[in-house]
Amino acid sequence: MSEMWQEAMVAAFRETMSRGVLFLPKLMAMVTFLLVGLVMGWLVKLLLMRILHVVRFEVFCERMGLTPAFAKAGMKQRIPDLIGRLSFWIVFLFFAFMGVDALDLPATANLMSAILAFLPNVIAAVLVGLLGILLANFSGEAVLIAAVNAQLQGARFMANMVRWGVNIFTAAMVLTQLGIAKEIVVAAFSIIFGGIVLAMAIAVGLGGRTIAKEALERRLRREKTDDEFTHI
Amino acid sequence: MEDSVWKAVQEQCPDVHQVDLLIALPSFNHASTIGSVLTALLTGLKGSFADASILIINADVGSQDGTPEIVKQTVGSLFPLSLIQPLGEGTSASPFALNRLSYSGMPGREEAFRSFFALTEWLQAKACVVIDASLRSVTSEWISLLAKPVMEKGADYVAPVFRRPPYEGSLTNNLIAPLTRSLYGKQVVCQVGGGYGFSQHLASFLLQKQFLWEADAARFAIDSWLTTVAVAEGYHVWQARLGARIQDNKAGAPDVSTSLVQAVGASYLFMEHYQDVWEKQTVSSTVPEIGVPVDGELESAPIQVERMTKGFRQGLRDLLPIWEVILAPETLAGVLALGLRDDDDFRFPLALWVQTVYDFAVAYHEKVIHREHLLRSLVPLYLGRTASVVLETRGGGPQAVQQTVDQGCQTFEAMKPYLVDRWRFQ
Repeated sequence: MSEMWQEAMVAAFRETMSRGVLFLPKLMAMVTFLLVGLVMGWLVKLLLMRILHVVRFEVFCERMGLTPAFAKAGMKQRIPDLIGRLSFWIVFLFFAFMGVDALDLPATANLMSAILAFLPNVIAAVLVGLLGILLANFSGEAVLIAAVNAQLQGARFMANMVRWGVNIFTAAMVLTQLGIAKEIVVAAFSIIFGGIVLAMAIAVGLGGRTIAKEALERRLRREKTDDEFTHI
Repeated sequence: MEDSVWKAVQEQCPDVHQVDLLIALPSFNHASTIGSVLTALLTGLKGSFADASILIINADVGSQDGTPEIVKQTVGSLFPLSLIQPLGEGTSASPFALNRLSYSGMPGREEAFRSFFALTEWLQAKACVVIDASLRSVTSEWISLLAKPVMEKGADYVAPVFRRPPYEGSLTNNLIAPLTRSLYGKQVVCQVGGGYGFSQHLASFLLQKQFLWEADAARFAIDSWLTTVAVAEGYHVWQARLGARIQDNKAGAPDVSTSLVQAVGASYLFMEHYQDVWEKQTVSSTVPEIGVPVDGELESAPIQVERMTKGFRQGLRDLLPIWEVILAPETLAGVLALGLRDDDDFRFPLALWVQTVYDFAVAYHEKVIHREHLLRSLVPLYLGRTASVVLETRGGGPQAVQQTVDQGCQTFEAMKPYLVDRWRFQ
């Protein structure tokens, strides 16, 4: 009985030790990946921020209305800093996932390949999001200035409507691209967008028919509504 | 494009290889006016240029009212005539281009001018005179006034000066002309349209410089473009007093916002091209003139000052975030203070206006926001300044208005160091 117990203990100890010996290099590999990830992330961040500084990316963001848009959203950081930080975390996480994959655990099997397969969707979603924000700001600004120059009341309201319209459209596209609640997003967007268009059609058709007619007539006949003297 | 124009001229006038004077008429549905314009021109040609070899060119951009036929009938066999289509074979005006008409209100005007430059060079013409076909006030003297400085006095460019009612051409008087004068040192009034004269020397230069044709300035503001390039390049510029300018209709002319974008945009754009020229220029000089100033007050069109001040106040309320990016803090503070004044006491000080125009020029250069947005956001400020000029000179007559314009020009010159400093060290 004592011998059997002893053998079982030794076998278990050997098994554990051999598993530990087999696992240790994987653990070392993970730690190495994490360390390399830290260094690489820091290097990529440094390089990217240098490049953004040289190409005057911050001025570009200011000009395209990204900086004010981010400020309005409560983001206090400079956009190049934000991109630098983001790039660090992307690189670090990339190495971290490789490290986790190196552990060869059944629970994390194929984690890396799954992440890599999803990565194009994330990149596309980020690009769509950025372009959407730019387009929303540009369109909002254009509408605001045009409405002010036409001396229309509620110029800011119109500009905000356009800005938020493009933002909502962008958000729907981003979520669809990421595959998050795809059906719900499409349905919700169709209902909201269709509802707005229907509401506007009813409003113009019933309430503002005369105004719309006069505005169109003025537009097509190009009747002068401002001062009669020439500016040029 | 120039080749097809040259071929068209050779086919229609095979004997014409060289002329002394080229008369050019851009037209588009001007059947109601082009006959009287040509009659006046033909009288002037017979009277003043009887011995000169002459070719008349009509660049029609697709009239549907029989304008080219009227031209043929009126000219008859008196002078060689060629009808050209400046858009060229195989090309047509884009339907979207209708939304981007130049402030002249005539489509294809810019292409027509380019054809005239090319023909002036090919025909080795001593002078080319361009007359707008939409005018009702062309007299037989115009040809002589626009051509003689070039043919006899060595001028390269003759710009028109018209007798206008007070406040007419407000943007030109309060911004374009003073800015051009302070930048390039030539006291030109920068009036646009009507008639121009230029030499072969200038035409050849304009054709050679491809960069001049690449920007929107050449496509939508050929009149401002022509004057600015002539003064900036140091050509011998004259001004011809042509009397009144009565135009048939301005139905196609764009609104104030688009006109401002095109005209001011052209001036700001050339500030970048000619930075080396204007930075060195410190004083201005008059340019020679031909023609007699005509006295007598012209009736002023109705002016709605309240509408302008309303436009300014709306801009102040809604465009402040944009102006904050464009204007220097002290300029913005001055503009903000204007919002506190009543409509009757409303004044936009001249110095503040000049500072505003210079701040916008620097912001345009720095591309702080999209350039068209930047220029369009200047409109409420321009309306504010125009309202102020009207209120300041109300009851004072044309002399008071002219005095304000002159003061504006002097202030633009006096404050030029502000522009240079900001342009260099922004």
